[in-house]
Amino acid sequence: MALFLQQVLNGLMIGSTYAIVALGFSLVFSVMRVVNMAHPEFFMAGAFGAYLTIRYVTANFFGVLAGGMLVAAVVGLVVERLAIRPVRGRYVLIPFIATSGVGLALQHLAERVFGSDPVAIPPVVPTVVYSLGPLSVTRMQLVTFAIAAVLMVGLRFYVRNTKWGRATRAVAERPEVAAAFGVDVDFVSRLTIGISALMAGAAGVSIGILYTSAWAFMGLLYGLKSFVCMLVAGNRHIEGVMVIGLLLGVLEALVSGYVTSTLRDAVAFGVLVVVLVVKPNGLFGSYSV
Amino acid sequence: MSLLLRVRDLEVAYGAVPAVMGVALELPTGEIRAILGANGAGKSSTIKAILGLVKARGTIELEGRPIHGLATHRIHQHGVAWVPEGRQLFSTLTVHENLEMGAFSRGNGPDFRSRVDQTFEMFPRLRERRSQLAGSLSGGEQQMLAIARALVSEPRLLLMDEPSLGLAPKVVQRLFEQIQEINARGLSILMVEQNARQALKIAHYAYLLEAGRLAAEGSAETLMASEDVQRAYLGG
Repeated sequence: MALFLQQVLNGLMIGSTYAIVALGFSLVFSVMRVVNMAHPEFFMAGAFGAYLTIRYVTANFFGVLAGGMLVAAVVGLVVERLAIRPVRGRYVLIPFIATSGVGLALQHLAERVFGSDPVAIPPVVPTVVYSLGPLSVTRMQLVTFAIAAVLMVGLRFYVRNTKWGRATRAVAERPEVAAAFGVDVDFVSRLTIGISALMAGAAGVSIGILYTSAWAFMGLLYGLKSFVCMLVAGNRHIEGVMVIGLLLGVLEALVSGYVTSTLRDAVAFGVLVVVLVVKPNGLFGSYSV
Repeated sequence: MSLLLRVRDLEVAYGAVPAVMGVALELPTGEIRAILGANGAGKSSTIKAILGLVKARGTIELEGRPIHGLATHRIHQHGVAWVPEGRQLFSTLTVHENLEMGAFSRGNGPDFRSRVDQTFEMFPRLRERRSQLAGSLSGGEQQMLAIARALVSEPRLLLMDEPSLGLAPKVVQRLFEQIQEINARGLSILMVEQNARQALKIAHYAYLLEAGRLAAEGSAETLMASEDVQRAYLGG
C-alpha cells in the first residue's frame, strides 16, 4: 500500500508537468487549428532558459523560473512568426509540417549551441525531503506541482473570466465573426502561442531542475506525451486535458513501480492506442476540424 | 440626406471564379436597403467584402472615408456590425457572453449594461435565458441574439445576411417588424434577403443581383411593380 501511494504521489508530481505542456498544445489547436509540432521545443527552451539564467543572471528560484518562461515565450513568438502566421487558415497539414521544420531546426540549433550531451543545471532548490508516514516527497517535487497547479488554475480563470479569454473562446469557435466584432484575431493567436509557450517553459524549468539537466532533444518524448494527452482527452474541455495529464503521470509511476521502469515511456502510447480504438474522439469529446 | 455607405466598382473573386462584378450601391443614413437575388448571385460576397472578410477590389466608403483594405476588426471599429447568415452565434458561450463579445471593442462598463438592458427590452426572452449557452436556444431566439449581439456595439451601419433563413413564417413576420423598429430608432440597415417579397415590404430601396452583376435597382414600390422582378423573384 505504501508503495502504491508513493507511486501515485510521484506520478501526480510529474503528471502535473505533462498537464501544463499538454494544455498549451491543446489550447493552440483549439484556437488556431494548428497542431504545433514545435511546442515541445518551448519546453526545451524553458530548461535552457533556466540554465542560462543560473549561469549568467541569478540563482534565485523565482528569477530562474521567470528567465526560463521568458526564453520559452520568445521562442514561441518566433515560431508563430516563422511557421504559423505565414500559413494561417491553410489546410491543417501545412502548419503541421511548417512547425515540424522549425521544431527540428530549434533542436539542432540548441545542439550547436549547448552540445549534444545534456548540460548540468546546478540545484537552485535545496534538497529537502518531507515525510508523511511512509511517504516522502522532495521540496522540488512540491514546487513543480505547485507551479503547475497555479498555471492550470490561472489558465482556467483567464479563459473563463477575462475579456481576452472570452475573445479567445470566440476565436476558437468562429474567427470570422469574432473579427467582425472587433477582435484582432492575429493578436489573439500570438497571445495564445505566448501563453502556451509560458506554460511549457515553466514545465521545462521544473523538469530541468528536478532532473538537474537540460538537453537539446529533451522535448521529443515530452511533446509526444502531451500530444497523446490531447488526443486521449479530446479538446472540448481544458479540464479533460489536465486530468489526463495527471493520470498519465500516475499510470507511468505505477508501471515503473510494479512492472519495470523500462516500460514507463510505452504507457502513454499504449493508452493512446486503446483510446483511439474505443473512443476515437477522445474521452471527453472533441470539436470537429 | 447624407450618404452613410457608398460601394463602387466592387469585384470579388474566389480564385479564378468571379462572384461579384462591378457592383455599385449606396445607403443613405437612416434607410433600409435590400440586396435581392438568387442563391450564388453574389449577395453574401458583397456583404463580406464590406466587412473585409474577403479580398475585394473597388472602393467602399463609410461617410466618405474609405474602409476597403482595412482589417475586419478595424472596420468594426468604424461602426459596422454584422448579423451573419445562419446566425453564427458563439454557441459555446452563454447568451450574456455573446452580448459581451458584441460589445468587445466598447468595453463592458455601465454604458454596456444599459445597452444590454435596452436589447433585453426588445427581446425579453433573451433576459430569461441570459446564462444559458447560445447553442441551446431555439432558431427564433438565436436570431434575436444575433441581432442583439450586433446592436450592443451601437453601430452606425447594420449588415444583415439572410435574417429570415430557416425561421417559421410567423417568426419571420415578427422579425421583420423588429427590423423596422430598429431602423425607426435611427439605425441604417443593409440587408441581404432571398425572401424578396418580405424584404421589399420594409426596405426603402433595393438592388437586384444576377450572377454577380447589378441587374436592376429602384425604390421598393418600383421593383414590386416591375413585371420582370415579379416573374423572377416574387413568384407571380
